Amino acid sequence: MIGIVIVSHSPLIAEGVKQLASEMTQGRVKILSAGGLDDTTIGTNTERIYRALLEANTSDGVLVLADLGSAVLSSQAAIEMLPEADQNHVLISNAPLVEGAIVAAVQASIGEALEAVNAAAEAASTMNKLQ
Amino acid sequence: MSAATIEIEVRHEAGLHLRPAALFLQTAGAYGADIRVRNITRDTPFKNAKSMLEVMSLAVKQGHLIELKADGDDAAEAIEALRELIDNNFGE
Repeated sequence: MIGIVIVSHSPLIAEGVKQLASEMTQGRVKILSAGGLDDTTIGTNTERIYRALLEANTSDGVLVLADLGSAVLSSQAAIEMLPEADQNHVLISNAPLVEGAIVAAVQASIGEALEAVNAAAEAASTMNKLQ
Repeated sequence: MSAATIEIEVRHEAGLHLRPAALFLQTAGAYGADIRVRNITRDTPFKNAKSMLEVMSLAVKQGHLIELKADGDDAAEAIEALRELIDNNFGE
């Protein structure tokens, strides 16, 4: 089963998205948050993301869901700190953070592979909420 | 191969969204059978019961009638598990 890392400039957003996605999967999927410069400061922190990647890493890979801008850049930098063999098993998703995390967590919980989970998460951007 | 179908009313106040949808997916995902679901009330086409987005796109609200169909060796078991989940109002 893949792992998921939530990256946001806000530690509260990252933790909240993690909490919401975890609620959908009853703890079946390893979901880590890596938000903020530290626990109270807005920003992104490559080291925090790197540690989350290590903890989330399974042989099936890790999907990173990030908010914007430097959250993506720091995630890329964190991935480059991983051993080269592991770098190929980590994907940064283009999905919207909240919707993507929910969809990714649920699809991951039924054992879907990294690429399939990412495709489902990215498709969340086309979801019609106003049904 | 075997096939099974069922029509059932969703009584959960959230319909088939978020937590109920996630539980629905996880129940369907435990079976090898191909499982499809459609919203009879809205007259939608069948969608993949193992896709969160497709299930949510059916816009199943409280009181809607849905149809489930499964194909595969464990089709009957899968339909029975989903029927039980929905009949038990997703454990709430």
